[in-house]
Amino acid sequence: MKPGLLTTSAELSKTDPRVKLIAAKIKKENARPEALIEILHTAQNAYGYLPMNVLSYITHSLHLPPSRVYAAVTFYHFFSLKSKGEHTCLVCTGTACYVKGAQAILHELEKQFGIKAGHVTADQKLGIQVARCVGACGLAPVVVLDDVVEAKVNADQIIQEIRAKIS
Amino acid sequence: MTTLDIYIDDKPLKVEPGKTILEVCRENDIDIPTMCHLDGLTDVGACRLCLVEIEGVNKLQSSCTTKVSANMVIHTQTERLKRYRRITTELFFAERNHICAVCVANGNCELQQLGYKVGMDHIRYPYLFPSCEVDTSHDYMVMDHNRCIMCTRCVRVCGEVEGAYNWDVMNRGFNVRIISDFNTPWGESGTCTSCGKCMHACPTGAIWPKSLSGEQLHKNPEMISELVKKRKMNL
Amino acid sequence: MNRQELHTMAIKAREQQASCKHKIGVCCGAGCISIGAEEVLKKMQEDVKARGLESEVAVVPTGCMGPCNQGPLVKYLPENTIYQKVNAASVAEFNQAQLVEGKPILSSLIFADSRTKPFINAAEDPFFHKQLKIALKDCGELNPEDIDDYLVHGGYTALSKVLFQMSAEEVIAEMKQSRLRGRGGAGYPTGFKWETVYKYVSDQKYVICNGDEGDPGAFMDRSVLEGNPHRVLEGMAIAAFAIGANKGYAYIRGEYPLAIKRIELAIKQAKKIGLLGSNILGSSFSFEVEVRIGAGAFVCGEETALIASIEGKRGTPRPRPPFPAESGLWGKPTLINNVETFAAIVPIINNGGEWYSEIGTPKSAGTKVFALAGKINNAGLIEVAMGTTLREIVYDIGGGIQGEGQFKAAQTGGPSGGCIPASHLDVKMDYEALVSLGSIMGSGGLIIMDEQSDMVDVARFFMEFCMDESCGKCVPCRVGTKMMHDLLEKIYMGSATKLDLDRLEELAIYVREASLCGLGASAPNPFMSTLRHFREEYENKIQPEVQLVKGI
Repeated sequence: MKPGLLTTSAELSKTDPRVKLIAAKIKKENARPEALIEILHTAQNAYGYLPMNVLSYITHSLHLPPSRVYAAVTFYHFFSLKSKGEHTCLVCTGTACYVKGAQAILHELEKQFGIKAGHVTADQKLGIQVARCVGACGLAPVVVLDDVVEAKVNADQIIQEIRAKIS
Repeated sequence: MTTLDIYIDDKPLKVEPGKTILEVCRENDIDIPTMCHLDGLTDVGACRLCLVEIEGVNKLQSSCTTKVSANMVIHTQTERLKRYRRITTELFFAERNHICAVCVANGNCELQQLGYKVGMDHIRYPYLFPSCEVDTSHDYMVMDHNRCIMCTRCVRVCGEVEGAYNWDVMNRGFNVRIISDFNTPWGESGTCTSCGKCMHACPTGAIWPKSLSGEQLHKNPEMISELVKKRKMNL
Repeated sequence: MNRQELHTMAIKAREQQASCKHKIGVCCGAGCISIGAEEVLKKMQEDVKARGLESEVAVVPTGCMGPCNQGPLVKYLPENTIYQKVNAASVAEFNQAQLVEGKPILSSLIFADSRTKPFINAAEDPFFHKQLKIALKDCGELNPEDIDDYLVHGGYTALSKVLFQMSAEEVIAEMKQSRLRGRGGAGYPTGFKWETVYKYVSDQKYVICNGDEGDPGAFMDRSVLEGNPHRVLEGMAIAAFAIGANKGYAYIRGEYPLAIKRIELAIKQAKKIGLLGSNILGSSFSFEVEVRIGAGAFVCGEETALIASIEGKRGTPRPRPPFPAESGLWGKPTLINNVETFAAIVPIINNGGEWYSEIGTPKSAGTKVFALAGKINNAGLIEVAMGTTLREIVYDIGGGIQGEGQFKAAQTGGPSGGCIPASHLDVKMDYEALVSLGSIMGSGGLIIMDEQSDMVDVARFFMEFCMDESCGKCVPCRVGTKMMHDLLEKIYMGSATKLDLDRLEELAIYVREASLCGLGASAPNPFMSTLRHFREEYENKIQPEVQLVKGI
């Protein structure tokens, strides 16, 4: 095996509370390989994304092949290998929101902040994402701003709120 | 031993229970095209070329994963199946960048042979021309994703036979790609043993040895099947 | 705890509630929470306390009450008066009117803005009285975070009945008699499914609750899990008893944090008093439930993909047979039912299979929950008897089309379903009728569209969804949906010819028949059904054939 590719927890600070959290989760699950997704959830929640050294750490702890872990991570939309930005604006483009003009809101946001959905601004302040349905169809169109669901929104109002957050 | 009575293409057959329809067909010289199947590896039913019609079952079933059962009446060569095999083949060609004339596997390619077999004279769907990488980082093998058809034979042979688990599949849908480790360049993989089984399992020119130039490639997928058989024999 | 103790506990809880003259429910479904319900709840509790009424007025958070569009909602019991669009500032005013003066504020009653005369007893409003709530019965009434409240509403008596008065065969017979069909979409008879798993002999079997509600426009399962999690758990336990399982998984979509929180809390509460765990109520039956959180993949609603996901792998489906009933989770016999199906088990056991079978239509018994959304006045969550017409749903319950628009089509079954045009407004909604119109019941998303909707665009939208959600394993779905999407895009942009449409039709049938799993097999449905009912919209966008050679 070539050195340096499967980094261990050495690169992670043992005192980092996030690392402790993941370590505790792995212990709770008895390092069972089938608990991979549960453990990835913990890591994703702790970091907001899955840094490569964290993935390496999990891979090692569960004795899984790296390819198997990477395959699972890239399959599920919930997991991200890139930072999602300091603030996130998630536009629901589910059917109900779509019928009520979510696309226009998304286009306006993309135009205003100069990034496409799925990307983060150069200063890492804002990430725009789309969801296929957040399940709040009765309140369409819906935007989730930093985990707060905003109902029956219009583009101007959301843009103002974002500006207030990132300025 | 008990046998089952089944009918394939109106021909009565006595077969051992536990066998798949594909196994029975191969034993009886009934030709069903396959891509993702390789003797010795776990079947996944992904390429959909080996679909057959079974009377009383309203869905088409992949013969590689469906076991025979008593009094099964199977049709393997209906017009509908032939049409679907051709569409599948065309979709394979349109999906990535398959240009036989410049391919190292030209003349020794299962996909190319499939095209002849199903009578593909042209491709009715627009080529998608995805941008795919060619990974030349390994010391003596190349992974050309342009020619990959996602049969996952390399993934399975690496895990099931070699036990290295270097390969797997990342992303989903149209964006799936074969990866080694953490989408690491093959040459920098920490798990690859450089055994070359994936190269032999690969049905196209996606994985090939660097030492070759055009049309010199000869693969030996039967070697994999033999290997699996001998391991089971515990000699 | 044994059976008698459960009974005593329920009586005690009931007496305690009876000592309250009023119960105020604040809807704390995810929809109402997003528009400030938690603040209303807090204010409500403070105001009741300030009036010194806390001993006679109970203030509780409840699950979804239904009319999500009008939230936040507050319900006063026993009057059953519902106020809409309540904000924290107006709480005192409502309490004064309801609790002190006993005179409701008519202008703020539910649907006050759309009815000439709103109803003080909300049950009389057509939105409610046209509905028949079985799966959702106590949702919006009881506190989902309080097991005592569930016991007051007869909770866990069905499980107790099953454990001590029925055999597994009798439970299955009852389910078969009820004619309940799987509410996840396919409509497979639940009793037969249970019987199949029951018949396989194995040292270990599993029950899985499929709460991976991925259809855009559907939020039935979420509302049931949020509003009445114990009902789902009890249903799972009954199923486990019937098939001989002792381990269950509740697989919940990651996008539903509140549902996850509430089901986890419910499991904890049930475990604490011995309604889950070893030797439940002193019987020989043991059952544990674990929550598994989905990670964002629509295809995981498919049984075999869901199983792969619980096993910690990529959620890709595998060919069936073998069916999960024979070889499911970790290769063991596994029963998978949808949330709404599990929610229907308890009333069936309590009232008998015959009672349930008499509701609905001959082939589709019982009720169905729909998530009503789109260009409709009263969007929200509804439950109607099978066989209710689309017209009743849209105009009586839904209050008609929003704004000046006209009804054009209803989309059912999400990306796996199809459209019902205006000419079929009188269709009696059940599994068979929807299939005959080229759509499906699906999980219950019901999106209403007015004439502003472009049906080609609708088809393109759903095909894009399927293309993105395809797992990429089999060729027809991976490449076929991409090709279909591109062709639909070409038609939508106005640059396609008749040949493209023909090719699209051929491809649609191929993708439907050759795909490995249900996602691919149903992906062409939105296209095929819009083409069937709105072919002229496709043809209007198509370029005339160019005659390359004269005379041909």
